[in-house]
Amino acid sequence: MARRGTGGAEVQPGRRRRPRYPARYSAAALLLRGKRPWPPIWRSGDLRDSYDVVIVGGGVHGLATAYYLASNWGITNVAVLDKGYLGGGGSGRNTAIVRSNYLTPDGVAFYDRSVQLYERLAVDLNLNVMFSRRGHLTLAHSDGALRTMRWRAEVNKHQGVDSEVIGPAEIKRLVPALDVTGAPRYPILGALHHPPGGIIRHDAVVWGYARAAAALGVEMHQNTEVLDIATSGGSGSDGKGPGGRVTGVRTNRGDVSAPVVVNCTAGWASLIAAMAGLRLPISTHPLQAAVTEPVKMFLPAVVVSGSLHVYVSQTDRGELVFGAAVDPLATYDTGGSLAFAEELSGHVLQLMPGLGRMRLLRQWSGLCDMTPDYSPIIGPTPVDGFHCDVGWGTYGFKAAPVAGEQLAACIASGETPDLIEPFTLSRFAEGRLVGEKGAAAVGH
Amino acid sequence: MSPQRLPARPGEVIDRDRALAFTWNGRAVSGLAGDTIASALAAGGCRVFSRSMKYHRPRGILTADYWDPNTLLQVGEEPNVRAGHRLLEAGMAVSAQNAWPSVRWDAKVLTNLGGRALSAGFYYKTFMRPRWLWPAYEKVLARFAPGGVIDAGSAPRRHDKRYAHPDVVVAGGGPAGLAAAVAAARAGAGVLLVEHEHALGGHLRWGTKHERSIAAALADAAQVAGVEILTDATVTGRWEDNWLAIVERGGAGGPERLIKARAKVLVVAAGLIERPYVFAGNDRPGVMLSQGARRLLNLWAVRPGSRAVVWSANTAGDAAAADLEAAGVAVEHVDARAGCTVAAAQGRRGGLEQVVLSDGTRLEADLLVTAAGWTAPTSLLNMAGVRPRYDPAAARFFPAEPDVPEAGTVLSTGGISGDGSLDELVGHGEATGRLAAARAATLAHRLQVATAWAAPVDGREPPEAPDERTPLGRDPHPELYRSSTDGIVDLSEDVSSRDLRHGAAEGFDSVELVKRWTTATMGSAQGKLETVNTVAVLADATDSTISEVGTTTWRPPFAPVTLGALAGRMFEPVRISSLHDLHVAAGMTPIQAGQWIRPEHYGDPAAEVRNVRTNVGIIDVSPLGKLDIQGPDAADLLSLLYVNKWRRLAAGAVRYGVMCAEDGVILDDGVTGRLGEDHYLMSTTSSGSGAMEVWIQNWLQTEHPDWRVRVTPVTDAYTSINVAGPRSRTLLERLVDDVDLGPEAFKYMQVRRGTVAGVAGCVMWRIGFTGELSYELHVPAGFGPHVWQALLAAGADLGVAPFGLEAQRIMRLEKGHFIVGQDTDALTKAPTAGLERLIKLDKPDFCGRPELQWALDGEPGAEDPEALPRLVAVQPTDPAYVPPEACQIVVAGSDGNERIIGRITSSRFSPTLERSICLAQVEAAHAAPEGTLTIVGTDGRRRSALIIAHHAHFDPEGERLRV
Repeated sequence: MARRGTGGAEVQPGRRRRPRYPARYSAAALLLRGKRPWPPIWRSGDLRDSYDVVIVGGGVHGLATAYYLASNWGITNVAVLDKGYLGGGGSGRNTAIVRSNYLTPDGVAFYDRSVQLYERLAVDLNLNVMFSRRGHLTLAHSDGALRTMRWRAEVNKHQGVDSEVIGPAEIKRLVPALDVTGAPRYPILGALHHPPGGIIRHDAVVWGYARAAAALGVEMHQNTEVLDIATSGGSGSDGKGPGGRVTGVRTNRGDVSAPVVVNCTAGWASLIAAMAGLRLPISTHPLQAAVTEPVKMFLPAVVVSGSLHVYVSQTDRGELVFGAAVDPLATYDTGGSLAFAEELSGHVLQLMPGLGRMRLLRQWSGLCDMTPDYSPIIGPTPVDGFHCDVGWGTYGFKAAPVAGEQLAACIASGETPDLIEPFTLSRFAEGRLVGEKGAAAVGH
Repeated sequence: MSPQRLPARPGEVIDRDRALAFTWNGRAVSGLAGDTIASALAAGGCRVFSRSMKYHRPRGILTADYWDPNTLLQVGEEPNVRAGHRLLEAGMAVSAQNAWPSVRWDAKVLTNLGGRALSAGFYYKTFMRPRWLWPAYEKVLARFAPGGVIDAGSAPRRHDKRYAHPDVVVAGGGPAGLAAAVAAARAGAGVLLVEHEHALGGHLRWGTKHERSIAAALADAAQVAGVEILTDATVTGRWEDNWLAIVERGGAGGPERLIKARAKVLVVAAGLIERPYVFAGNDRPGVMLSQGARRLLNLWAVRPGSRAVVWSANTAGDAAAADLEAAGVAVEHVDARAGCTVAAAQGRRGGLEQVVLSDGTRLEADLLVTAAGWTAPTSLLNMAGVRPRYDPAAARFFPAEPDVPEAGTVLSTGGISGDGSLDELVGHGEATGRLAAARAATLAHRLQVATAWAAPVDGREPPEAPDERTPLGRDPHPELYRSSTDGIVDLSEDVSSRDLRHGAAEGFDSVELVKRWTTATMGSAQGKLETVNTVAVLADATDSTISEVGTTTWRPPFAPVTLGALAGRMFEPVRISSLHDLHVAAGMTPIQAGQWIRPEHYGDPAAEVRNVRTNVGIIDVSPLGKLDIQGPDAADLLSLLYVNKWRRLAAGAVRYGVMCAEDGVILDDGVTGRLGEDHYLMSTTSSGSGAMEVWIQNWLQTEHPDWRVRVTPVTDAYTSINVAGPRSRTLLERLVDDVDLGPEAFKYMQVRRGTVAGVAGCVMWRIGFTGELSYELHVPAGFGPHVWQALLAAGADLGVAPFGLEAQRIMRLEKGHFIVGQDTDALTKAPTAGLERLIKLDKPDFCGRPELQWALDGEPGAEDPEALPRLVAVQPTDPAYVPPEACQIVVAGSDGNERIIGRITSSRFSPTLERSICLAQVEAAHAAPEGTLTIVGTDGRRRSALIIAHHAHFDPEGERLRV
């Protein structure tokens, strides 16, 4: 088996390694520990000058990749670098929706694997990520949208994913707060109902992966910014670019050599890739989200309306979490806008006119790296040893487990697994774009 | 008389002659006009207002204002009402939110007993196994969600919005803010003063007689100077160029109104927020901040307790002690500046009976007032790019030097900027107001210059105003955050200092991480009371300083805003054609088509089809996108946008064209006619008209700004009517005099301009979406109804009748015309739709060319899996079975499993052919004519269907079009 890129580390696929936690979590352990503090969830130490794998970006993708490298492949000499704190980017700013009701068979297979991993993540990581499998409704306000819902449902059913088109009466039964009368400007004609979809505690996923990876020997380095990527033999001036190979990274805490560098960033993916001399077909757009004050539970499912550009769910804390489509203009500015809050509120009240007395408590933005076909870029690049797991647009969180698992396999084995084959960078040169635009544009 | 209400006090804001009756948890009670809900309840002796989020501990008044974390109550249909702020109204039904069965005896307080295991984040550490039990656990956890009740069925309220363009907005009507507003207005600026509370004056309102008189004088001066004053309103967000969101609660605009203001200069005078002190028992009812106690006492004449310990580190605390003493409360005054701190507040059943000091002294008390210092609410400044910086000597954050270019338009004054005597604060405010007015005048002048084409510029730019402000001082203040004991840091989230310390020890050692782990600062006040204490505890736990730890990001809104106010009145325009009333009169069944309301049919779409096929029908196609394109480079633009050629299109001819995106995917289609030398009329699909306008403008403005071509949307300028059917020419000849409609003079795919029914300037296209001889008339919109009625009248003997969208959809499917977005999708490249011959690779670059060239050059055989799918016409074997659109088409794979190879994109029952007809996209390998397909119905049943040779099920040669 090819072992390209692992720096000669012993690769042992097949046997899962279990993290050895300094303290396992359980109800009994909680009672026993009482008021004494728990040991650190991860270790931070000095940055060493060499690792087998350096992962740029300590979000859920980078941490999942580190965890699966260690647990599935025994590659533990790994450093995860983040310029801020773990989970401070898209991982902590998304609306934490998990689903697999995509449109293309490739997309469905990929996200279905992710949902499977999420469903048992709490047990696998010994940390409760609070996956709330509460059902996911994508509303249709036109006959065209209804046709797309039926399309998704039929593809999903064929692939064994639970999805069905339901009518207004059933929608009302599932979510009584929705106005299914003909009164709204864009009445609800039907919905794609996807029972396995739900929400999860996004920060817990970050911490769970970080803790498990740390327990397997992976190092986390926060406040460690990558300033440059060292390569040699590339076709560009300075040895960068296609044809070269990566040798390490330069950080604000010193140089690190590594035969494998993985770009797991979001919002800055094209800038990091540029450090290796690669140009990615990515434009970066802000995506805004908001949360209300808590109220007692009344919204039992995740509700999405593509034509009204809104998705909403109620957390276990009682808050409504809203998201929308990405901002139309490409920018790195995360200041957000008043117009977003206004439009969002208008659209939410069209769906649920009784919520006018709820108050918006906080709004924020994250950065989304958008690709032309609304699909990610995963796997090897023309710079040997430099891997990407980027271009996740607005759908990165829900894919993190499968992306990490598959990318780890790709790095360790040197072969691109089937699940991510459709999403490699080379597809843009080969004209094999993925057709998820329809399901991903506001498809949360 | 309410037991805790004191005799009349100078400065009180209540009207003792106006009692207001309301209910509290169903019990009839009363308060006075001018009371807040909380002050009325406190006057009636209420001590417990809520139960805490996690442990359901009893909670009482802390700050007696908007930010009080303990007095969020349900009022009628409205959840989470700030009872410390909301004025009492007669008839309010007020109830506690987070309590069962009652706020006095709450069953969930039992969680307190398990409290030793319920530290922050405990839920991440348990309930993992067994997995099947988690949904049940989750349901229990969700029961602990805090907050009130929303009734999704409650009637919506109407909210208006307002736009304002003031020179200067002053956020905060305390002494400095008032002085700034007055000075700015006197200097000639238009000023909007926004005060969060119900009256102007800030902390002077509950101060001494002298302080109240200064406040009154300043408020009068603001009136006289012409300042627009908003009370009970908050500047809640600030974006680029001082774009401000102001929420006005309960003013003339209704229940809550959003004011969107573009201010030239923003003056932030938000004052200071008092900070709680963290110690054991600091969340007990009876523990109050000094400002809360003074507000209760001096504004509403409510006695907050009978036996008080006042622990004070500043003059505000000393004043609270003096006020309480003067009101007859027994006061033990403990001076924090002397080094003594509070170690614990104790009592039975969650109440307060005894205060333990750090030196071991025990004092009996039912009221503990703390004055531990201040937090500067720098939120608006932070939104403008100003970072807060910590000053340990003054024990609070101050705005640091701004780091944004437009910072000169955001100023601050008052307590947020520093300390001083009342005179100094007012003086600083005045100087700030003058500076704001001068900068606003400079900006106004520059704006005039920038828009000189619109109005003459008067005068010269005013000279740059000097900043004459004497910086405010900083009073020394002891750093008091946490006692030696642990207490609650975030009262709304039930997060203790122990939770934070343990969080830091577990690795959540930065403020953002520990916030996420414990949820500290994520509650109703969004950190206004909690952030600095959180930072201080964390600094302590990580052996660093407050400056090193820093704060979390303040995010908008500063004060929460209702979704109703943000939404305002719904603005979702409905588009109707000029013929709408006629359709209604004719009994149309309407259908939503994007923004448009259109006739789906007038009773019987099949009959409408038959009438078009035998006589003549007319359909309103006004939503069709129409763009008037003029200029010498117009043909270049068309060649760039469409995949086919346009340079040789003769004047008087129309041509069908398809547009593709850069990836070769079909974007839109339609016909474009050449009206004159440099003049074209383009039509786009109805659904795509808006997007195409943007698409074309994007190409013109970003890639070809040098092209001499103008594109004007004229969709609404024309009423578009398609006259279709074998008798359409006969009908039109009766109404058109100036155009020869003869088959040789006006051929298929030609355009003429002429007069229809006396209406000049009509554009006529001879085209045929329905497959019949037909003319599309574009009539100046105002004359639409006239022409429509003239057609119906003139053709009565020909059998003319209107037909709707459904009949048109049936006929186009009979003819095999695809609809972009229905028969094509986000991956459908032009060759899929059989457009190979339309694509002209021998012309200069056009949108999608590289991808299309690729697809066509290397066109793989149909057996190649990379081959593009094909659009084919399909007829189910059972002529009565109409497969639902989006049904999947499958083949049995070699492994026995079925594989998806395509889907039905359109299906209808054809009244002309009296059978079901479809279009479908299938893999190339399965797209050969005469092939058989297996359709999976939505019911799961498999049915067979035949691929026919031509897309058109009817008249494949198009003979009916060319007569």
